[in-house]
Amino acid sequence: MQQILVIAKQTFKEAVRNKIMFVFIILGLITICCSVFMPVVGDGIEKIKIVESMCFRSITFFGTLAAILLSASSIPTDIANRVLCTVTTKPVQRTNIIFGKIIGFTYIIGVLLVIMGGAGYALIKFTALKQSVQGNNKLLAREKFDPYTSQVTGESAKKIGDVSWIEGGGKGTSVWKFKGLHSKNRKDDLDIEADFLIESKKRFTGKIPVNIKVVNPYTVKVLTESIEVSRNKPGLLKLGGEFLEGSEELTIVVSPENPGDFIGISSDSLKVFFGNKSFEYNFLKGLTIISSQFLLMVIIAVLGSTFLSLPVNILFCLFIFFCGSITDFMRDLSTVINVFETHEHVYGISTVLKETNAFMVFLDYVIRKPILLLSYILPDLKNFSVGKYFIDGINIPYKTVFMSFGYAALYTFFCLPISFVVFKRREMA
Amino acid sequence: MDNDIAIKTENLTKAYRSFWGRKKILALDKLNIDIKRGEIFGLLGPNGSGKTTTLKLLLGLVFPTEGRALVLGKTTNDVAVKNRIGFLPEESCFYRFLNADEILDFYGQLFRISGKERKTRIDRLVEQVGLGFARKRPLRQYSKGMLRRIGIAQALINDPDLIILDEPTSGLDPIGTRETKDIIVSLKEQGKTVLLCSHLLSDVQDICDRVAILDKGKLQISGTIDELLSSKDVVEMLIRNLSDEAITEVETFVREKHGEVISVKNSSDTLEGLFLKIYAANIGNSKTDI
Repeated sequence: MQQILVIAKQTFKEAVRNKIMFVFIILGLITICCSVFMPVVGDGIEKIKIVESMCFRSITFFGTLAAILLSASSIPTDIANRVLCTVTTKPVQRTNIIFGKIIGFTYIIGVLLVIMGGAGYALIKFTALKQSVQGNNKLLAREKFDPYTSQVTGESAKKIGDVSWIEGGGKGTSVWKFKGLHSKNRKDDLDIEADFLIESKKRFTGKIPVNIKVVNPYTVKVLTESIEVSRNKPGLLKLGGEFLEGSEELTIVVSPENPGDFIGISSDSLKVFFGNKSFEYNFLKGLTIISSQFLLMVIIAVLGSTFLSLPVNILFCLFIFFCGSITDFMRDLSTVINVFETHEHVYGISTVLKETNAFMVFLDYVIRKPILLLSYILPDLKNFSVGKYFIDGINIPYKTVFMSFGYAALYTFFCLPISFVVFKRREMA
Repeated sequence: MDNDIAIKTENLTKAYRSFWGRKKILALDKLNIDIKRGEIFGLLGPNGSGKTTTLKLLLGLVFPTEGRALVLGKTTNDVAVKNRIGFLPEESCFYRFLNADEILDFYGQLFRISGKERKTRIDRLVEQVGLGFARKRPLRQYSKGMLRRIGIAQALINDPDLIILDEPTSGLDPIGTRETKDIIVSLKEQGKTVLLCSHLLSDVQDICDRVAILDKGKLQISGTIDELLSSKDVVEMLIRNLSDEAITEVETFVREKHGEVISVKNSSDTLEGLFLKIYAANIGNSKTDI
């Protein structure tokens, strides 16, 4: 263990003297600070959201780049400078060198997160304080609840893909049930957010009225409201927490108000937010998730550095970072490139014509299958994306923190043994 | 393995391969040598003869294509045996932002030497290699010779039983060369085994008990210096204060006894000897000035 810590300390010292880390920290800090000057359309909350979003994106982007460049270059540089040649003649297991390097990079990640995270937090707080003059200083960390059952009924109900469509005017309704709605403070806001796909047979204005009936099954208290749902902005219904009096359950019935209006519903179209958790705690959870991404990239960079030269390894890591950020797009792209020609139905449903096309078959083997394979092999960095939680003011569930950490640990579990074996067989010529 | 043997190689072969796995260069071809404990063994040869490859194989930095090597009775992939080995690489490659104390402390920690003991050894070694005046200076500000000196110090930080030195005097001035040779001889006096590899033949001749000469990866010859250099039919006599007449008489006597006089000349010092004499005289003068 002593040897590992000695190498870790040396790695950290080397990174500090390299100054690359500070360049990225400074760039990150500049970007974070620039968010304050960005023009915002909307109220003060939008301003806070912009600062929060920029803060996390900057930390993620510059932090990951710093982690990649430092960890991808350390071992190849040490080999090229023959420093490792001397170190490996000492009684040090090569696995200890790898462990030491990784722990050293973990120190670096820690420093990076403390500096950039600290600056980001201070800036968010400062922005919130500045907006407090307008009464919009609340830094949100709302608890999000998903329905445990949802049901679509009525003569108009029709399922296309994952989306169920219902028509208004009493021809269809959807019923959503929520349970476990609890908060320390019963007076906390209870928000219902409806994010539906919408269509209309009539002259379409881009938004339709939707009836929402909220029922407390314990007190049989009923509230019926009409809200407007548009394509770009989900409908929002605000209730007081008192509505839940005596119960932790809620039934919500949704239907379009007018005949000829359609709403498309998927499993996560309706959400309930109740209770506001500590923003500071949420911020820390966000940083923990980002640190898992950093760790993942460090592990991949160290793996690459055991058998690749410095420039190739940096390119390899940047490729993984880039592709890992667009895995969804890669899967979509592979879906688009289909072997069979398809025909778009009048209602938007594609029909497979079963006619093969030689060019498409070529694309299938050369592009589609490799892309699809890559999208499953490469780490999906979307799992470490925390910006959306802060933009929507949602408390990050512990499950998400553990899942992202577990995801990074899973890759570590596969990559580390490969690194050990490759590095053990590597000649220090 | 014989307890008297510090290093033994059996058909040790190394071929470097190309990216596609094809054999590119045969760096070492079936090397068989035994190095006894407590001796200074020199590995000689021109550039590219396989000297450094041999050292790398002995240290486990590269792996043999065929054959094997035993170092202090263990195979080269045994990490524990490295506790008893000190190594000076051909180029002194260290973290250049560290100073002498820090780099020695770093290597000392890798050997798990306690803090107090480390400090004692660092103080002694820094003085022994003559870097006391520059111990707090970053290594990037060191000259090549100073880097060799700190390299020697790091090779000795663990008080090793076997010291492997690759071109130990490369880049050193005559004083540094002499001091390094003295250190090597003192190591032998302490019962340690030294394997040094050099193409400076005079260095090797001065201090080595036995040598092996490699060329194109093959062992050409090995043995003690005397065995290799002595010529049984030629006699060399060094005589002081002999007059010209006496020299003529000696020559006549030799011819009468059917001997052949090959050359008669005044004895001359080596350039190194002359340099050291001047250096010693200058030191003496400066001391007088003070």
